[in-house]
Amino acid sequence: MGRWWLLLTALTLWLAGGYALLGKRGHSTFSSEHGEKVECPLFPARIVSMAPDLTEALFALGLDDRIVGVTLDSDYPPAAVPKPKVGTFWQPNIEAVIATRPDLVVTLTFAQQKDLARRLQRIGYECLSVEIESVEGLFHAITAIGAAAGVEGRAQELSENIEAAIHRLQTATAGRPRTKVLWVVQREPLRVAGRETFINEMIELAGGENAIGPTLHKYPPIGAEQVIAAGPEVIIEPTMIPGNLDAQHRQAVSYWRKYTNVPAVASGRIYVIDGDLVSRLGPRLCAGLEEIARCLRPQPPGE
Amino acid sequence: MPGTLSPGRLLFRTGVVATLLVLVMLACSLVGPQTISLKSVASVSTSAAAPNPDYEIFFRIRVPRIILAALVGAALAGAGVVFQALLRNPLADPYILGISSGAGLGVIVAILSGLTWTLWGRSPIALFAFLGALGTVWLVWGIGRSAGKYHVTGLLLAGVVVNAFLSALIMFLTSVAQSQHLYATIFWLMGNMTEEDFLVLWVGGGGIVAGLVGLFFLGPQLNIISVGSQDARSVGVPVERIELAAFALAAFITAVAVSLSGLIGFVGLIIPHAVRIVFGPDHRQLLPLSSLLGAMFLVVADTIARTIVAPAQLPVGVITAIMGGPFFLILLIRYSRKVYWLA
Repeated sequence: MGRWWLLLTALTLWLAGGYALLGKRGHSTFSSEHGEKVECPLFPARIVSMAPDLTEALFALGLDDRIVGVTLDSDYPPAAVPKPKVGTFWQPNIEAVIATRPDLVVTLTFAQQKDLARRLQRIGYECLSVEIESVEGLFHAITAIGAAAGVEGRAQELSENIEAAIHRLQTATAGRPRTKVLWVVQREPLRVAGRETFINEMIELAGGENAIGPTLHKYPPIGAEQVIAAGPEVIIEPTMIPGNLDAQHRQAVSYWRKYTNVPAVASGRIYVIDGDLVSRLGPRLCAGLEEIARCLRPQPPGE
Repeated sequence: MPGTLSPGRLLFRTGVVATLLVLVMLACSLVGPQTISLKSVASVSTSAAAPNPDYEIFFRIRVPRIILAALVGAALAGAGVVFQALLRNPLADPYILGISSGAGLGVIVAILSGLTWTLWGRSPIALFAFLGALGTVWLVWGIGRSAGKYHVTGLLLAGVVVNAFLSALIMFLTSVAQSQHLYATIFWLMGNMTEEDFLVLWVGGGGIVAGLVGLFFLGPQLNIISVGSQDARSVGVPVERIELAAFALAAFITAVAVSLSGLIGFVGLIIPHAVRIVFGPDHRQLLPLSSLLGAMFLVVADTIARTIVAPAQLPVGVITAIMGGPFFLILLIRYSRKVYWLA
């Protein structure tokens, strides 16, 4: 029995010692020397973006020279391409982020991104997490980034420009009957954008209406029955692989052929559009909206 | 074979493997998606004025993660040895009695209920995993015990059924979950290795090492029990007490490992077998060697997982299965002819 007591005592001492040694600040002794930031009047000079839409926003705010790292999928604007890469926005590479010696890391708020921000903050890096899941959120994000980077003026200007463009688009489509749109995010198995998504918001801003009613999922999987019941007048698919418009359009047309009694299929209104424009909620929002509006515009008969 | 194990030999083998483990850990900490130089790691400490990325990558990212991998590997391999001995079943692994699905359910409940409170700066997910794992083992143990004389079969069946039932619950919850929750869940179920706080490593490491030492104390009795509980009883081993203690310790270290890193398969199954094939079935040796080699195996597997598709990462479970499967089969073919207990 003696050695069991010895083991228990050793474990207790070990835990107590650990708490005394490491537990004080809630984390490790390798404490964040630059975590307790010295009040520094200068704005961040080394900014890292953890998502393609954030990259677009940072560039739109004129921060080109201060961006020291972007994600692999940040391909717009072209000036973002040669910047050092820090992983994808799905799988951020924390070592690469640290290697850029950032003084501000901008992330989104979904699981992996928040996780990255938490890990970086623990080491002592400054992080800004912005939630961009609605047009409203985009404006908030632009304001927050502008404040953090010290370009409030540019941020306000950018927001106003986007707002003005949205307004123009809305006046153009005002009074027109709302087109019912089915927004396909995945064909097999079929998944579409539901009501609680920013896609839904974009469809409505562009003068359409989601053919799918309220659902449990944000991007609900649906069956043939629901497609027919929804009766979409237009089917839109964003591309997953850039520059693959024609091939995907051919596949889409042959996939939807069997739904002859769906209005969109009967009238041949199946569109494939550039996914980067419409799935990144960023400063190019209006280009995306115009693209959607173009698909919704009533067609002259005989087309 | 048991007669050939002298204390000196055990100490020598354990020492060699332990040294090897330290060397492997050092080597692996130099490998990563970012190239760092040891010189600059050692040169200056990091500071606000001049942050030293190499130092931070080495000490704040890689070293904690490698220590975590070693702890989890040791726990899983050690627990695998014990479960195989107690259940007298070569297919047994640390997850066989429902620990995995119990922990998985705990995690999903924690994620779906959107828990935002933290415990000493940690999310409650690990705590839920730990409680789910222990709760499930306790349930399975209770059911198995009620099967009386045939309790090994009873335990296995109870474990399989509880596992299946909880897995169904997990699948139900993931199918109704929102996609942003889904990702976190799936990542966890595939084994999520990341750097941890030193305090977490200290506490988790203490628990795991203490559990392994406790199991090592039980080694001689496990040797007898693994032959058959009737025989063990006839030579005066307090079978029930030993079994309960071994189960409790093995379940405990597995639960700690699972709550630290999610579900990592294969380590707990093949490392014990590999060590048994090469070094023989004596538990006094099997336990320490399996733990050390399990640690080494997972450290190497995790290093591959975080570098091979850099800058992205693979779930470490993919690597353990791809590396471990063929390696194990080769061992099986080469050694099985001269190993009597496989028959």
